[in-house]
Amino acid sequence: MADQPTLWDRRPDEPDPPGPAPRPTPRILRVTDLNRRVRSLLDADAVLADVWVEGEISQPSFPPSGHCFFTLKDANSQLRAACFREELARAVVRPAHGMNVIVHGRVRAYEPQGVYQLYVESITPAGAGDLHARYEALRAELTAAGLFDDGRKRPIPRWPRRIGLVTSPVGAVWRDVTNVLRRRYPLVELVLSPTVVQGTTAAPAIVRALQRLYAQDELDTIILARGGGSLEDLWSFNDERVVRAVAEAPVPIIVGVGHESDVTLADFAADLRAPTPSAAAELAVPDGGQLPAILSRLRDRAGAALLGRAAERRRFVDAERRALAGLAPDIDAARQRTADLLDRGSRTLTDRLERRRLQLAATADALRTLSPMATLERGYAVARAVDGRILHDAAEATVGERLHVILSRGTVETRVERVRADAEEELLS
Amino acid sequence: MTDRPITELPDDELVRRPFDELVVALQQIVQRLEAGSAGLEESIELYKHGLRLHAACETRLREAELQITELGRRGVAGAEPEAASAPGEAPRD
Repeated sequence: MADQPTLWDRRPDEPDPPGPAPRPTPRILRVTDLNRRVRSLLDADAVLADVWVEGEISQPSFPPSGHCFFTLKDANSQLRAACFREELARAVVRPAHGMNVIVHGRVRAYEPQGVYQLYVESITPAGAGDLHARYEALRAELTAAGLFDDGRKRPIPRWPRRIGLVTSPVGAVWRDVTNVLRRRYPLVELVLSPTVVQGTTAAPAIVRALQRLYAQDELDTIILARGGGSLEDLWSFNDERVVRAVAEAPVPIIVGVGHESDVTLADFAADLRAPTPSAAAELAVPDGGQLPAILSRLRDRAGAALLGRAAERRRFVDAERRALAGLAPDIDAARQRTADLLDRGSRTLTDRLERRRLQLAATADALRTLSPMATLERGYAVARAVDGRILHDAAEATVGERLHVILSRGTVETRVERVRADAEEELLS
Repeated sequence: MTDRPITELPDDELVRRPFDELVVALQQIVQRLEAGSAGLEESIELYKHGLRLHAACETRLREAELQITELGRRGVAGAEPEAASAPGEAPRD
């Protein structure tokens, strides 16, 4: 296809097709080819390759890619602009709607969409040099005066009853803040102190609106809020009078001005800085959506504590009862103990009696052994005189005297015939 | 406003108390119950108070409507000094 000549490929010196009649058949271009040709034309332009443009940013978009796309415009015209992630990170300011800027970059065509746009290399706020210098000087002065000290920051009341709001009575901020409060914590009372927030009269008006609130009793928190805008639009929040008025707030004050990237001196002077007006409203009140759950938990804890208390009482009573039961006389045990004692006593007694009986028997045996009858059993005899004397010596007997000879069984009455001195021979003969 | 403890207020007065006061009272009751220093009878009383406070909180939440006052306008400033003054008196702001 590229070999085929196109309308654009005609050399300047090539004569025009003969005409007027017959009319030549126009060469048909593909869209891609046309866009490529426009692109090469633009790329060849030295001015467009390195250009500085001043204008107002409109409708910036920040897709997930991290790049930024916006329209740069003035009173009569607009220009598409693209700022890639790397350049965006280096930019002094984050592109915001309405921001007046000077942009440096090059103009190229984007073939797939057939558009030309400004590829941004740097963005600077228009007139930033002057404003920025004033901002830094005032910031240094007020920092030195201690207005921004962390030690001055007061905690935001957790359960506010009355909240004061300084903002424009018309526009999105007023609506956004009331919506947030209505949704999150409608228990609060909102006191609006309206003011203009833009233009040369804004600073003193904001101060007056703040002071009207400061005269109010029983305010818990104050919110000072303004929607996004150009640096110039937000400038009144860098005005020394406003910053000092914020620092003098008798109750904790939250400042939410512009977008997340806009940091004004009023933000520094506040007790709490919110990135946006809606965020300021959210920071000012508890999350009402959580309240039913919080309340239920409290009620459950009370119930659990009461049940625990009751269980504890029951355990206490049980323990007391057991202790009392321990103090009562245990008849059964006593009876048992008595029986045991009796048993042991009687057993001891029986043992002792038995021992005595055995001893007695032994004694009786011994006695029996020693008894004269036992001797008589062995064949001995006792000779006793009539007067009862027991004869041990033959000399004690008289001839003719009657003697009783006592044997083991029975007694023999005898008369002494003769007395002899010898005994042993007689016994052994 | 009375000096009576919040737990002794009848239900209709209870629901007019500031919400945070009700929640704080409820939290205190829970803490006392959990501390376990109250006797059983007192604990039961505390628990009943807790239930009433919880009910009052729920009523407040259910019926809450954002109340808006605007300063510097006639007749709408509920918290402004002139709101309480006699009609016809000149507004101050």
